Amino acid sequence: MSAVLELSRMSVALPLGGFLSRARLPILMDVSLSVGRGESVALVGESGSGKTTLARAVMGLQAVSGGSIALDGQAVEGAAGHARLRRDAAMMFQDATASLSPRLTVGYLVTEPFRIHGVALPDPEGMARELLAKVGLPPAMARRYPHELSGGQARRVGVARALALKPRLVIADEPTAGLDVSVQAEVLNLMADLRAEMGLAYLIITHNLALVRHVADRVVVLYLGRVVEEGPTAQVFAAPAHPYTASLIAAEPRPDPRQRRMDLAIRGEVPSVLRRPSGCEFHTRCPMAREMCRTTAPTLAPIGAGRQARCHFADQNKDQQGEQHAVEHR
Amino acid sequence: MSVLSVEGLSVSYRVPGGRLQAVRDVSLSVGRGEVLGIMGESGCGKSTLAAAMIGLLPQGAEVAAGAIRLNGTDMLRLPGEEQRRLRGQRIAMVFQDPMTAFNPVLTIGRQLADFVGAHGGGKGAAEIAGMLERVGIPDPGRCLGRYPHELSGGMRQRVAIAAALLMQPDVLIADEPTTALDVTMEAQIIHLLRDLRTSFDGAIVVVTHHLGVIAELCDRVAVMYAGEVVEEAGVDALFHDPRHPYTRALLSCDPAVVMPGSGHLPTIGGRIPDLTALPAGCAFAARCGMAEAGCGAPVPRHRGAGRSVLCHRSAA
Repeated sequence: MSAVLELSRMSVALPLGGFLSRARLPILMDVSLSVGRGESVALVGESGSGKTTLARAVMGLQAVSGGSIALDGQAVEGAAGHARLRRDAAMMFQDATASLSPRLTVGYLVTEPFRIHGVALPDPEGMARELLAKVGLPPAMARRYPHELSGGQARRVGVARALALKPRLVIADEPTAGLDVSVQAEVLNLMADLRAEMGLAYLIITHNLALVRHVADRVVVLYLGRVVEEGPTAQVFAAPAHPYTASLIAAEPRPDPRQRRMDLAIRGEVPSVLRRPSGCEFHTRCPMAREMCRTTAPTLAPIGAGRQARCHFADQNKDQQGEQHAVEHR
Repeated sequence: MSVLSVEGLSVSYRVPGGRLQAVRDVSLSVGRGEVLGIMGESGCGKSTLAAAMIGLLPQGAEVAAGAIRLNGTDMLRLPGEEQRRLRGQRIAMVFQDPMTAFNPVLTIGRQLADFVGAHGGGKGAAEIAGMLERVGIPDPGRCLGRYPHELSGGMRQRVAIAAALLMQPDVLIADEPTTALDVTMEAQIIHLLRDLRTSFDGAIVVVTHHLGVIAELCDRVAVMYAGEVVEEAGVDALFHDPRHPYTRALLSCDPAVVMPGSGHLPTIGGRIPDLTALPAGCAFAARCGMAEAGCGAPVPRHRGAGRSVLCHRSAA
């Protein structure tokens, strides 16, 4: 059975500016990724890793310079292809309130996708009620305007809009950013319920690892526009094979004062894409970098069932990290 | 002795249809070398409290009662000009998005020099560069010649902290200092603030809704709900032996503490009460699993060793 979304060796490069200049700056390089039916995949990485560019490229908001995108096994090409993709895949935006037009009512907003895609809608009010009910909002909400909503409610309206055309895939960009913990839990529960009810697949873009742990079956880690690790979430968290993944996990603040981290897992900042380091691009920040890392670029290689990593010492790391994890959780 | 203490502070806003009681009878204090966390969800009054501490309450806000003492002096009783001067020199603030705190068309060096000049410091470029180095900026000389947009979010936050420290304040208030940052930068800023706690001889107040930041950084924590401090305790006691039902509910629904694969995450049903028409008695009762008829009566504050709890049904 084909995947809902399949990216093969997708690349995005931006023009470097300068009139008549042909120079292009690579932002995403050879990214392959698939999201199966009903599967939830998380894309993680720091700002500047290319997460948002990837989502924009999938939705057709950013031209790709190489590779291909397929939806349900069919290649997505040109404006017509992306129009089909935008109908079958929905986007949940980071700033939920800002993504809702302030002068339209909630009832109009949740049924707007039908109008945009020219789908006949005999009973807009009934449909609005149905969609609001699906995301746990009362029917009276249909008469409200976006500024009257709380952050959690605006997020729910965003979800209702995304669900209007019964998509098979939802691309969610930081779905819980800026929400209070209790509201965060509500949104995550809602996403899980919709997945169970409607068989939705998710591509979740986030740097919130707690969120990844709860909702993603698989996780893909990006660094400077390249996939550096990929695998089933539980395995990657228990035994990260790439030092970058291990540092991200270790940097997460823990809600337990008895487990304070006294050392810094990762120093420095993401290098600029204008000056990519030689060899392994992570070597400038890697705690275990050796001589060969400065000169030889590692490839993305399989390391056991369903896992891949781009590190010369991936197998070793995975085993060591796995042992450490087992000791900590004994 | 505490550097900053808030005593019985109440702040309200005039809104159409009445008064919104944003901060209600809050008492807190923080000493030198101590990090106090103020934790709560949106609308709980934590930002209004921070604004009141630094004297930046918006138009329409009114201090209905209470005192804010800096080294013993009640700032609210001082004449306007003196109050401004005292706060400007002795209390510094770091905001969530440091981009908004800088002027985009001036270099970092120029802004820091102006800033120090305005507060009567008269410090030289060497001192400014030294401070940038202390907050972990790798090449301070080059940083001084840059514009705010040329720095990453993490670097801007470091510069904002350096600017605050150049004043040698008694109190540093950080409002959601890591919310706009990546997890890696967040960890670095937490480490920086932790280091400062020992090297900078002042008090630090951290306002955040992020439980992880509180646990990593604070010594003591005040939990706010609907404008009141419902529980105050040492950080270890708060996370390992929370007493107020709201604190317990909040800690239990953080996705970072719940084991994955355990199905639905716990949530707190209902919403915070309307702050213009507060219920009699406990403000959390409508959402509380332990509530009973008696919770409608005025709520007692129980005090125990190093903690206080505002609840009918839990002891300190």
